[in-house]
Amino acid sequence: MLSRAVRPALSAGNAAIARTAVPQVAGYATLREIESRLKSIRNIEKITKTMKIVASTKLTRAQRAMTDSRTYGQTSNQVFEEAETKPLDEKKTLLVVASSDKGLCGGIHSGLSRATRRMLEKNENLDIAVIGEKCKAQIGRSNPKNVVLSFQGVGKDVPTFADAQAIADQLVMLPEDYASIHILYNKFVNAQSYEPVTVEAYSEEAITQSPNYAAFEIDDEVLPNLREFTLANALYWALAEGHACEQSARRNAMDNASKNAGDMIGKFTILYNRTRQSVITGELVEIITGATASEEM
Amino acid sequence: MAFAWKAAGLSYNRYLAIAARVVRRSLKEGPRLHAERRGEMDLRFAKWQNGKQGENMSLGAANADAMAEHAAQEAK
Repeated sequence: MLSRAVRPALSAGNAAIARTAVPQVAGYATLREIESRLKSIRNIEKITKTMKIVASTKLTRAQRAMTDSRTYGQTSNQVFEEAETKPLDEKKTLLVVASSDKGLCGGIHSGLSRATRRMLEKNENLDIAVIGEKCKAQIGRSNPKNVVLSFQGVGKDVPTFADAQAIADQLVMLPEDYASIHILYNKFVNAQSYEPVTVEAYSEEAITQSPNYAAFEIDDEVLPNLREFTLANALYWALAEGHACEQSARRNAMDNASKNAGDMIGKFTILYNRTRQSVITGELVEIITGATASEEM
Repeated sequence: MAFAWKAAGLSYNRYLAIAARVVRRSLKEGPRLHAERRGEMDLRFAKWQNGKQGENMSLGAANADAMAEHAAQEAK
């Protein structure tokens, strides 16, 4: 009976007058409150579960695209490894941040933004091109002066090579002449962990100055083509791997959310049943006392 | 070596994209529909100046415009 006595005092804030007038109503009201909360948690659980399933199915496709693009990008980079190309230091660097438009996937976007800020601390003159709304919002708030370009519309589906090509074209057309282009993306370590890393695309000058450049016998006229093409390759690799990371992160985030919702549902069901029980007990006590009282009269 | 597509103001990537599109379009009906999904590009972009975001533009259209301009310069 103690709990019944305490309850009106606890929830005195809402509708205190009605409750003091008819004390039994208090029990029913909280019961209804608990019920409506339970219902909304159940709905949220349903939504997060569905999102998890969707992310899981998308993940398999994204992972396949990632492994393909990774070999592709590595093969394209092999030329520069063999030629021992080194970035030039004296000129400006462009940083391309490969995130996406969609949220609800844990901290992978803010991880990219944090890495960007760390790089900005080292080098204030960095120019930034952002791919994806999420990082654009974060970097646009903290370092708007460094941003030169932003792209939207990524992350709906597995990124295509056409996407990478169009972005590469736009980057090449930037007025500034960049010594090298760093592409920052989330590297897929395993399903649980990702780390922001960069991949480089070199400028024409850097390529011509690499030590083993002569071994490849590249015509001067073809060189810009090679450079544009490797930029597109690197972008494609970064986009595909970032996409796989995002899907996997979303799957994990939704898995956790569903688990938490399950925990809450368990707690609230117990609370609901207990409250219902005490309401019934209280009513019984009232009836019995009433009956005994009238018998004695 | 002079490239005809370079004289037309195309970049190497654009040239590749067009070549790939032609190949995709000449495929048989079944594989074509599947392959054409890989060629879709629907990005938008914005230029930033002095910390302010510019207007949102379609990337495909902007690239085509820039290349037409480039071609005009090349012709002079």
